[in-house]
Amino acid sequence: MNPSALSIRDVSKEFSPGVRVLTHVDLEVVQGETLILIGESGSGKTTLLRMFNGLTHPSSGEVCIHGEPIQVKDPIDLRRHVGYVQQDAGLLPHWTVEENVGLVALLLGWEPERRTSRVHELLDLVQLDPQQFRARYPIELSGGQRQRVAFARALAADPAIVLLDEPFGALDAITRHELQRQFLGLKQRLKKTMVMVTHDVDEALRLGDRIAVLKDGHLLQTGTATDLLNAPAHDYIVQLLRHRSHGDHS
Amino acid sequence: MTRGLHSVCLVALVFFVLLPSPAFSQEDRIVVGSKNFMESKLLAEIFAQLIEARTDLAVERRLGLAGTQVCFEALRTGAIDLYPEYTGTGLVSILQQPPTGDARTALNVVRAEFLKRWDLWWLSPLGFENAYALAIPRSRTDGAPLRTISDLVKIAPSLTGGFGYEFINRPDGLPGLETRYGLTFQRVQAMQQSLKYQAAAAGEIDVLDVYTTDGRLAVYDFVVLEDDRQFFPPYEASGLIRGSTLAEHPELGSILGLLANAFDAGTMRQLNYRLQEGGESPEVVARDTLSALHLLTGDEAVTQPVPHRDGLLAYAWSKRTTLMRRTIEHLSLAGLALGLGILVAVPLGLLLERHHTVAEPVIRGIGLTQTIPSIALLAFMIPVFGIGMLPAVIALWIYSLFPIVRNTYSGLRDAAPQAVDAARALGMTEWQILHWVRLPLAAPVIMAGVRTAGVITVGTTTLAAFIGAGGLGVPIVAGLQMANTTVILSGALPSAALALMIDGFLGRVETWVRPRGV
Repeated sequence: MNPSALSIRDVSKEFSPGVRVLTHVDLEVVQGETLILIGESGSGKTTLLRMFNGLTHPSSGEVCIHGEPIQVKDPIDLRRHVGYVQQDAGLLPHWTVEENVGLVALLLGWEPERRTSRVHELLDLVQLDPQQFRARYPIELSGGQRQRVAFARALAADPAIVLLDEPFGALDAITRHELQRQFLGLKQRLKKTMVMVTHDVDEALRLGDRIAVLKDGHLLQTGTATDLLNAPAHDYIVQLLRHRSHGDHS
Repeated sequence: MTRGLHSVCLVALVFFVLLPSPAFSQEDRIVVGSKNFMESKLLAEIFAQLIEARTDLAVERRLGLAGTQVCFEALRTGAIDLYPEYTGTGLVSILQQPPTGDARTALNVVRAEFLKRWDLWWLSPLGFENAYALAIPRSRTDGAPLRTISDLVKIAPSLTGGFGYEFINRPDGLPGLETRYGLTFQRVQAMQQSLKYQAAAAGEIDVLDVYTTDGRLAVYDFVVLEDDRQFFPPYEASGLIRGSTLAEHPELGSILGLLANAFDAGTMRQLNYRLQEGGESPEVVARDTLSALHLLTGDEAVTQPVPHRDGLLAYAWSKRTTLMRRTIEHLSLAGLALGLGILVAVPLGLLLERHHTVAEPVIRGIGLTQTIPSIALLAFMIPVFGIGMLPAVIALWIYSLFPIVRNTYSGLRDAAPQAVDAARALGMTEWQILHWVRLPLAAPVIMAGVRTAGVITVGTTTLAAFIGAGGLGVPIVAGLQMANTTVILSGALPSAALALMIDGFLGRVETWVRPRGV
């Protein structure tokens, strides 16, 4: 068993008194695995994800990264070393592709030459031709291209952990499928620890090493696709799995 | 990226508008003020020229201050040394005493009270009264023998009164008149002083308040009604001067005393006619008057008729030096106010963006300043800042704040929330987010606020004329008093052109600060 990359111990979260979005959640993410957080809107999955880079803090309980409590870390430094991709890419609209991808490197104070070569390397990695795309602005890209730039941006400082908040959620079916395919390829190559939020069962089954199912702030079950299919711990999970399209589970 | 360039641009804009302002205050200088109507300006000009002719003192003119309150506050606080005032105004408006007493009683009361309270001296009366009176076009009397206000009472319920704003509100104006005579009109229309005559001649109104020395009474066929119950208090004209000024320059008392009893109402009506209808300037009429009284030392009287009835272009050309100076004054005032507005409002918007809870109340509070009438705002400021450029700039500055604060705050708050979230998630500090993300993305919105403020400020700068700060409001106000469209337009058109130019320029800046990719 690999050592723990991220762990959540007895975490609860109330945004205001009485409005509880997470209730006593325990979760372990081991190094190198891709863990999917699945649930419907309001299940608390995004809140949980945002605790891993300190964008949200638990009302009670503990969040650890590489065994250390997250509170003792400098949040700015922590975030520069944890990749982050969000649903609509979140690119800075007034920065070019090259500037967007080089953002974290810039924050870390890399030399311009090192930044440029890293940006080119990453654009190659996400299969965007640097010569063609580096000077473009986000508005000049398609949705899929923007998402690939966001992915490249998240990987810029070679973080050990990457957080993804519904990264393919806003894409059309064909583009989504193609990006999922590329994601699987990158996942094999890069061996990063990844936590991805989705509400799409097929995506969860296809991309996740393990899947954590959340409902109304409770963690119902964590396990592999096979665990969930063979031994669902809750009626809700049975219902959820019924929604998958047939023959798509690889 | 051109983020640095944008900052430089904003700073340059600010310094471009911070033009040098005229210096203030020196010794051996007498500041003569006047209210914003022709007779007051003429009397002030007569004082000024007489002092210039008979002393070595430099005289600075602050003519056309907006109304009694502005003039009196300016005198009391030492912003001006001297201005022409009327005993009735001193009694009723300034001392707030009931409008009673004959001319001598009124003079003695104001003389004693002003000395006691403020060390302000009423000089010897100039010899005429400019009192309120009611008038009716002869054509509206339908041949009825209408001679007194008591006669008017009988037919008033079928008539429309058109009165000045001041007259409607003063206790010695309409309210008191209604009580004393039991007078009621069918309708009362508030009107700008200078428009009433035309409105009456055109049949829009039937009865109007007039000043007894108004030059237009010589040309319009109006019946001036006798005040048979002695309601209107005496309005003897006199110089009102600061005691401290007299102490420093005692000769002023005797020199201005040369004007004691120098005029009667008929003379004043004719002089006013030259100003109001003949379009002559107070300088020329004042010089002729002093010359006729043989009070000038040399005999340098030259009458120059002003060719301003020859059309707008000819008039503007003849006044080009003055208009150019007014335009520069106008731009300096507006630019200074806008520059200071940017310097305060943009940082304030940034600060409020960091304190969301107080932002809306603060911005709403600043928004309230927009609702303060400009004259009221100026009147509040005179006790603190005096008259001239300083209070004008401060008033304009206050008016410029709201659009800039509002847009800065909203622009920053609403700037690309997804991009801001991503920037934070990838480890930008709040300062970096502000500097690299929020500010560049909000820049066009902020500039749009500056642009709105710019146009408002250039338009509002016309009010500077009310407190002697100059600008293109001077010909506008003068033209309004003379009911002379040419003179009004000679100020209004350049002012509108300036507003368009500023709008165009700031529009260019707005496009320029818009980041690429947005």
